[in-house]
Amino acid sequence: MNRKTRTAVKIFLIAAATILCTAAAYYLGSNLTGHSLATASDNMNYSRWLEKYFVLTRTTGLFNGFCALSWFLAARFFLEIDEATGAGKRIIWAALLALSAAISIGIPHFYAPILGIKLNGIIFGLFFAIFSVIGYWILTIFTTPLAFKYTPLGAQLFGRKI
Amino acid sequence: MSFYFISIGGTGAKVMESLTHLCIAGILPENERLFISAIDPDVGNGNLERTSTALNNFAVFQHFSVGNDDLLFKNKISIVRPFPFNPTGHDKTLDDLTEFYQHNNSPVGKLYEALYTKKERETTLNEGFRGHPSIGAAVLAKKFEEGSKLTAQIEKTIGEGDNVKIFLAGSVFGGTGAAGLPTIARLLKNNLADYADRISIGGILILPYFSFTPTEIKDELFARSENFLPNTKAALKYYSERENLFDATYFIGDSVMTAVKEFSVGSANQRNEAHVVELYAALAAADFYSRPIKSPKIFKYICRHEQNRFSWSDFPMSGEKFVQFARFIFAYVHLIKPVLADLVSGNAKAYKYPWFVDFLDGIDVTAPEVVNFNFYAEAFVAWLNQIENLEGREVFLINPAMFEANPARIVDKKIFSALDGNKTNLTLHEIFYRLSEPFNFDSTVKGFGKFLRRLYDSCKI
Repeated sequence: MNRKTRTAVKIFLIAAATILCTAAAYYLGSNLTGHSLATASDNMNYSRWLEKYFVLTRTTGLFNGFCALSWFLAARFFLEIDEATGAGKRIIWAALLALSAAISIGIPHFYAPILGIKLNGIIFGLFFAIFSVIGYWILTIFTTPLAFKYTPLGAQLFGRKI
Repeated sequence: MSFYFISIGGTGAKVMESLTHLCIAGILPENERLFISAIDPDVGNGNLERTSTALNNFAVFQHFSVGNDDLLFKNKISIVRPFPFNPTGHDKTLDDLTEFYQHNNSPVGKLYEALYTKKERETTLNEGFRGHPSIGAAVLAKKFEEGSKLTAQIEKTIGEGDNVKIFLAGSVFGGTGAAGLPTIARLLKNNLADYADRISIGGILILPYFSFTPTEIKDELFARSENFLPNTKAALKYYSERENLFDATYFIGDSVMTAVKEFSVGSANQRNEAHVVELYAALAAADFYSRPIKSPKIFKYICRHEQNRFSWSDFPMSGEKFVQFARFIFAYVHLIKPVLADLVSGNAKAYKYPWFVDFLDGIDVTAPEVVNFNFYAEAFVAWLNQIENLEGREVFLINPAMFEANPARIVDKKIFSALDGNKTNLTLHEIFYRLSEPFNFDSTVKGFGKFLRRLYDSCKI
């Protein structure tokens, strides 16, 4: 696989993973605690809660996907290694992980009241696990450009070829 | 086919240094084995020592498993022992070597006394023949067959079914080279007369290209650069009048005499900087080896496009492969070497260097062969730097800005992609990226050699 194809495949993977993570967060969240949260919310029934919850997961997923894509694009096109000591750039990867965590927790925290829905700890835990851990951390392990392929924590456990 | 290269004297040793670098870069034709021999009474000569180091390094690199399908380390070498062959022994004078005491007061002894001055006869020859080919010719004619294993080695090669191309390199203006070139060529021709159709002897006669001013003039015998031109004139007259000893003869010299920075009679202090003339001489050897064993005699001249500037278009070779090798070495000294030791000691994080995880994890990068390669990479850069920084000549093979740091490191990283002046997309980042990409080598490519091969391939345009 040449570099251009690999780049296209990885961008597709990030997009697909973002959609899958959003879908997973929506279905797991709604099935695990959707009914109780809908009941606890004011002027809300389950289908209306689902509607609002979908907007929330979509927004969180989109911003989180942006983090994964940003890391990929930065590592692929903008971060240059022209010194032996300039390799790695884990600080940037970690900063984006922190941003992803902030998005996973911050968007539900601030956006849910605006949408008028209540959330609980399970949703926050679920969002963090799905978006930050799977949708950023694990995803970047497999999609980081090869020059930085072992920069994500734990990436060395996988001997990546592409 | 087997190739033999015989360096004679200090200039020959410097040609051998250039040839070694070309050989390591895989520039020599075919995949033939190159047998290397050196003849020099000044065994501690700094020039020879530097060349020996490069040769010994290459002998080690031959064991790197880099595969056989690319140029890197392609030509295998064998060093013919004793290396170097010292025809004079230690602390011997001409009187000792000719056993003058046996002929004292005899007619032969008196003739000998008439031909050589007292100083020539009584000077110890540890530092060579001191610019006096008349001494060298007498010693070499007597001692070559007694001490050198060269003829036996060539006969052995022929006996194994190989044809042999022998190339001699030395100066015609000094002592050892001027004495050795015709003497050794004639001895080899005579000794190997039975195999005349299976050998070819070529030689490069190096004409003056440097000068020096003795800093400490004692009552001592040494080469004088004011004698270089008369010596050369006499030597060329000899070659034009006598039977042609060589099947192919190359001449190279320079009208600009580069001043030697530090004069030395010989020994370890004689460390003259590399010169573009020596690179041309090494390319002459490559040209000779590339021709059929019995090829018709041709006369060719080589010229340069500009009077005081040398660039790739002036050389009888394409610069592409050499530049790829230079790029490989610069990438190594800049991107790899600075962190190798830290990676082993744990002071650098392996995750930053995918090439280390993929190729070198578990490989002992403190092993002597890796350390040798580190030294060699620096030596190659130093050699190239010397060639490019000649007084009175502008040589542009590699961008001179590449040599700003010592030890070698690239200061202005942008120029790496235009190493030979031609802009490419091959940046340092690109090399780093390529090193991390998937690759396919056969199973014989392994260890540190596999990494070097990958780096070398990554440096291809």
